[in-house]
Amino acid sequence: MNAAELDYLWLAACAPLSEKERHAVLRACGRALPPAELEKICAAVIQSAADGVYKGDGAPRAREAEAYLARLEKAGCFAVTLASADYPAALRAIPDPPLVLFCKGRRELLAARKFCIVGARSIPPWAAKTGTAIAAELAGRFAVVTGIAEGGDAAVIAGALPAGSLISVLPCGPDRDYPAAHAALKRQIAQQGLIISEYPLGMLSQKFTFHERNRVLAGLSEGVLVLAAGQKSGTLITADRALAYGRDVFALPHNAGAPQGAGCNELIKQGAYLCTDAGDVLAMFGMERAERSAPSLTEQEQKMLAVLRGAGEGHAAALAKAAGVPVWEAQATLSSLELKGLAARAGGNMYTALK
Amino acid sequence: MIAKIVCYALQGLEGVPVEVETDVAKGMPAYDMVGLPDASVKESKDRVRSAIKNSGLLFPMGKITINFAPADIRKEGSAFDLAVAVSLLKAGEQLTGADTQGIVFLGELALDGTVRPIAGLLPILISAKACGYTRFVVPAANAREAAYLGGADIYPVTSLKETVRFLTGEEHIPPVAPERFIPRLHAKETADLKFVKGQPVARRALEIAVAGGHNLLLVGPPGTGKTMLARCIPSVMPDLTFGEALEITKIHSVAGTLGEEGIISERPFRTPHHTATTVAMCGGGNRAVHPGEISLAHGGVLFLDELPEYKRSTLEALRQPLEDGTITVSRAGGTLTFPARFMLCASMNPCPCGNYGSADKVCTCSPSEIRRYRKKISGPLLDRIDLQVEVDSVPYDALASGEEQESSAAVRERVNMARAIQNVRFEETGIRTNAEMGERELAVCCRLSAEGERILREAFERMNLSARARARILKVSRTIADLAACEEILPAHVYEAVSYRLGDMLE
Repeated sequence: MNAAELDYLWLAACAPLSEKERHAVLRACGRALPPAELEKICAAVIQSAADGVYKGDGAPRAREAEAYLARLEKAGCFAVTLASADYPAALRAIPDPPLVLFCKGRRELLAARKFCIVGARSIPPWAAKTGTAIAAELAGRFAVVTGIAEGGDAAVIAGALPAGSLISVLPCGPDRDYPAAHAALKRQIAQQGLIISEYPLGMLSQKFTFHERNRVLAGLSEGVLVLAAGQKSGTLITADRALAYGRDVFALPHNAGAPQGAGCNELIKQGAYLCTDAGDVLAMFGMERAERSAPSLTEQEQKMLAVLRGAGEGHAAALAKAAGVPVWEAQATLSSLELKGLAARAGGNMYTALK
Repeated sequence: MIAKIVCYALQGLEGVPVEVETDVAKGMPAYDMVGLPDASVKESKDRVRSAIKNSGLLFPMGKITINFAPADIRKEGSAFDLAVAVSLLKAGEQLTGADTQGIVFLGELALDGTVRPIAGLLPILISAKACGYTRFVVPAANAREAAYLGGADIYPVTSLKETVRFLTGEEHIPPVAPERFIPRLHAKETADLKFVKGQPVARRALEIAVAGGHNLLLVGPPGTGKTMLARCIPSVMPDLTFGEALEITKIHSVAGTLGEEGIISERPFRTPHHTATTVAMCGGGNRAVHPGEISLAHGGVLFLDELPEYKRSTLEALRQPLEDGTITVSRAGGTLTFPARFMLCASMNPCPCGNYGSADKVCTCSPSEIRRYRKKISGPLLDRIDLQVEVDSVPYDALASGEEQESSAAVRERVNMARAIQNVRFEETGIRTNAEMGERELAVCCRLSAEGERILREAFERMNLSARARARILKVSRTIADLAACEEILPAHVYEAVSYRLGDMLE
């Protein structure tokens, strides 16, 4: 690490600043300036902040930073600073980029094209399934960026993690398990994908860290897809930031009146791209959709699929009646359609057609 | 003079012969009982004295010693009263000429000499008959219970006086006429599937569960008829055989929950409240060990409403009986084994507020709340529940109205058919139903076609199924195939079994 990088690291993790001061410095570091100028200012701020404490002696600063670096390495993490060559360019371009990204996992993912998919924790099953399918398909072209919470994030992780091109941005230090239930999942992501956090080791998630994390999600990515968001979901902050940074915003359409999707519909009203499958995203970036082999369906399955698509959503018994088969046969057929990714359970023995 | 009268004590579900020996000797008047009688037996002293006096008989004067032999087992209960009274009368030489040899006396006495019914008569009769006793004097109120024994002379008596007149030959009491067992004769449950509107999916699952002896979990919002469905299960289960009925009646007789019918002719349906303790569930007691809810549900259904509300330790205690079909209870009073082969049916809400996964209502629970709620049911327990289905949360009038719902009898016919197939399959293996299959039977009886294997593998990958879930799906597929009278497990059967795997998503 060169001196500038160490300085950034020192400022982000070691500088004896209160949380408020640190914030002020971090914000002061990033204005919409050309990168070269920006770095000059950053260095000056660092210097003045440091001078206040060490009276011009630069040596302890470097030692502290190096000691911290050693700690990071011990925790299996690495730091990417504004001065690092592989700091993601898109993130560098936002008005208030994080000084340092504390990462764990595959560093090369930082250089990949990135696309963000997020969803609220409370997400309808069909939207989660659709999100998983889209994430799986996009994972071939992009590094999929998301959070790590339950619900929407988990669905995206399930889709993109097998391909390994997944970046999870944490609202806490890289060594913290949030949510606790996803500790094992986090380890898996750190192995197969990449974990990013702008917070130093040991930092716990707080209300504001979620907001700040959301700006990183949007800043890293070329576009943002919202799977599900309520009227006042935090997911909308990500979409809002994405708009502010000039990224494309996509949203999954939901039933009118479904509170879990009210935020998505609102986004579409405001001009977000309506997205129902990965093709909609790929088309926006001028990519061709890979030929997908249509799953082979039996005659029964085709019939049931037609009935299900006609109804959109229906109770197993109603669908059975429409298809003219006993309920248990319909259950079997619907369950095979579900396995083939063409239907999803919606609770209470209801089924929804997936695209 | 010494008199010996035979009575029976109860140890769990088995009767143990007890000889009541009475000696009336000259000396200071005294009245002692030895041979480990507990408080309830000692109290019979005063009951017997009054009963004898109020029956117009003489209470012997002198030093009276009553011994309960063998002296090393603890006696309790009031069933010894009649034997003590007869023994006293005989020792007092008021029954000269009466033949009491080989007769077992059972009954509690009232102060006026009336003979009151006792708990646990049937198991005593069965054990005594096996020991070679064929003549019994029993309380008339217990006569119906005794009537199902057959092959023995059972004399019902209403009072001590009547007993004495019978023994001395002054009065003839006709033995109880043996009754023939008719299943469901005294059916108390009026629940029938024809009253359950809608719920086609849960109905089907219920049918499969009963056909294969699988345990069942119903998941759904409050007030959607989970309890109603569960109550119908006994009406769908195969008729009791006489042997089973006797076994069940024994347990209920010991517990004192046997009604006036004298025999249990319908499969029991037990619904212990979720505040039930482990002892209430599994059996126990201070000195005498009583059967718990799981034994009372033997041969029938144990319904646990609101499963996550039960104490964790209580639920975990069910695991071993679910496997073995018996429960061994160790107490200060001894170690006893009760049968406990029951079908477990449980119900729960999908989340604390009940609306998770609902199409039209919003769940207000956070993911961690839901996780906490579901974690109350351990994996190993869930593992023993093969079928996990959702009950419909939407009002179902539109589909159900005007349609004749299938009655329990019609479903039972199909269940009986599937059971017959299983009886043939598991002949001489000690297994009765598909649900009891082990790894070895799975390999033999549940071989899948290449297509079926492929589906199962796909389901595995898509749904992150555990190895346990695989066995569960295979067993249920087998039962579905049996219901369709199909030798081979077809892909459709596997698919349907996969659709009852809700619990794997909950895990």
